[in-house]
Amino acid sequence: MSEIILEGVGVTKRFRGLTATDHVDFAVPKGSIYGLIGPNGAGKSTLFNLVTGYHPLSEGRIVFKGRDLAGMPIYRRNQFGMARAFQISKPFPALTVRENVGVGAMFGRPDRGAQAGRETDRAMEIAGITHLAARRADALTVGELRKLEIARAVATGPDLLLADEPCAGLNPFETDEMAQCLRNVRDAGATVWLVEHDMKAVTALCDRILVIDAGKRLAEGTPSEVVNDPAVISAYLGVPMDEDVAHA
Amino acid sequence: MTRPLALLLLAAAAVATALLPQALSPFHIRVLQFFFFAAATAVAWNILGGYAGYWSFGHTVSIGIGAFSAAHFGLIFGHGAGPAGMILPVLAGGAIAGLFALVIAYPLLRLRGTYFAIAMLGVGQVVAELANNLPVFQGGIGLFLPSPVPDGMAPERFYYYAFAALLALCLVISWAVKRSKFGYALLAIREDEDTAQMLGVATERYKIAAFVLSATLVGLLGAVYGYSLGYFTTPSVFRLDFSLNMIVFALIGGIGTLFGPVIGAALLLFLTNVLLSGFLDIHLMITGALVVAVILLMPGGILRAGATLPWKRRAKKEASG
Repeated sequence: MSEIILEGVGVTKRFRGLTATDHVDFAVPKGSIYGLIGPNGAGKSTLFNLVTGYHPLSEGRIVFKGRDLAGMPIYRRNQFGMARAFQISKPFPALTVRENVGVGAMFGRPDRGAQAGRETDRAMEIAGITHLAARRADALTVGELRKLEIARAVATGPDLLLADEPCAGLNPFETDEMAQCLRNVRDAGATVWLVEHDMKAVTALCDRILVIDAGKRLAEGTPSEVVNDPAVISAYLGVPMDEDVAHA
Repeated sequence: MTRPLALLLLAAAAVATALLPQALSPFHIRVLQFFFFAAATAVAWNILGGYAGYWSFGHTVSIGIGAFSAAHFGLIFGHGAGPAGMILPVLAGGAIAGLFALVIAYPLLRLRGTYFAIAMLGVGQVVAELANNLPVFQGGIGLFLPSPVPDGMAPERFYYYAFAALLALCLVISWAVKRSKFGYALLAIREDEDTAQMLGVATERYKIAAFVLSATLVGLLGAVYGYSLGYFTTPSVFRLDFSLNMIVFALIGGIGTLFGPVIGAALLLFLTNVLLSGFLDIHLMITGALVVAVILLMPGGILRAGATLPWKRRAKKEASG
């Protein structure tokens, strides 16, 4: 687990006056499940959008598989091995599950040609939605939609899957299923970068965790290192009341 | 539908199209001639508007450019005689219309939804004004195209067959697009462009290809339409109602389907030109009411009526809820 698949150096994004991410460094080991957590508004989504190419960086650089991503268009990043599962599922509603996944298989690796059908089936199996193949996407439940989102991303044959809060709004049973689904993705050979709001889900699943708050890197390390970090504890739980009053 | 059955139906349609003029009056042949033309433009519009979801409100610009280019091609290189003489000017019409689309595609296709639609409306107006007012285009005084109709043949029959062949061409191309990887890309773009990009679809390139293909086909049609007029000025080919026709026909018949635009054109043109020809003072009112009724009752168009009629929708809702 020493090889680094994705590295960020001094990653910074400013929206006018607001600095959404401020010189954040990270290094995602290949074959791991890497967690990104932080309170609301910490800059998780911004960091994600920087990696996937929705926003250009204001400063710093992001290196994926040894290549600086600056200026690479979104579809090319995907073909280069990076896939994203959206937090708010965006299926193609009028298409079936299999067709939805098929789009990823067909375009994610343009050289794949006739293998696309097999990739589609494999991706549906990894996500555990093979039994839904013929169902139209607009007839799925929230939990099924999330899995479709993962399957579609997996079908593009990614080396790195970025999953944006895949467990948000799921019930405990569905959350377990999603955790298993993400482990399947990792076991199939991809690295997973997981953004989660919920500390518990992340610590159970991730090999390493990056914590950010107010756009800055707060801590990074294994789950046990991170949850015992005083800075993380104060950001998540707040400082004890008497201390708070004393500081104010 | 099974493959042999579909082929049989196609063969029957071809034979019927070939023989029909024998049984019809010149007026009805002219109605069908215009139907083939209008349906073909709607089929071509549908490649961009129906498959990719980019509704152009100014597609008539390609009809105008096609007709103007054919006439100017003749002025520069000389007009050929007979049906063979129209081949090069018509191809030039299609090529120039496609080229023009290629030039405006990059900036315009960055706009989405309504903004693209309105921008195309503007493009149509601007090009029409230029064609009309710049002396070099001669849109104000008008342009001539020599009749390519062979001796002894009625013009309406000639154009009936010409437009029928072009409609067949548009349908074959639209069918090939729909079942190809290209078609899948357009579908993904229509459903959600951001997601399509994230799934590796080079959306920019596919959109431009669809736009150019669609404009080229409409340009070919416009050039032949110019021939059918013989003499035309700017307002006779840059017609806003042609732009609207393409949208309404596709919408009524079933947008994004292969045959929807043809069915929409058949229904509306038959209605306005034949059924209601005895009620000239109110025929447009009835047509308008019918369009509203179809949109309300069958929002997916006639071809999808099975799933979208209100009582079917209600049944489906109860079944799933």
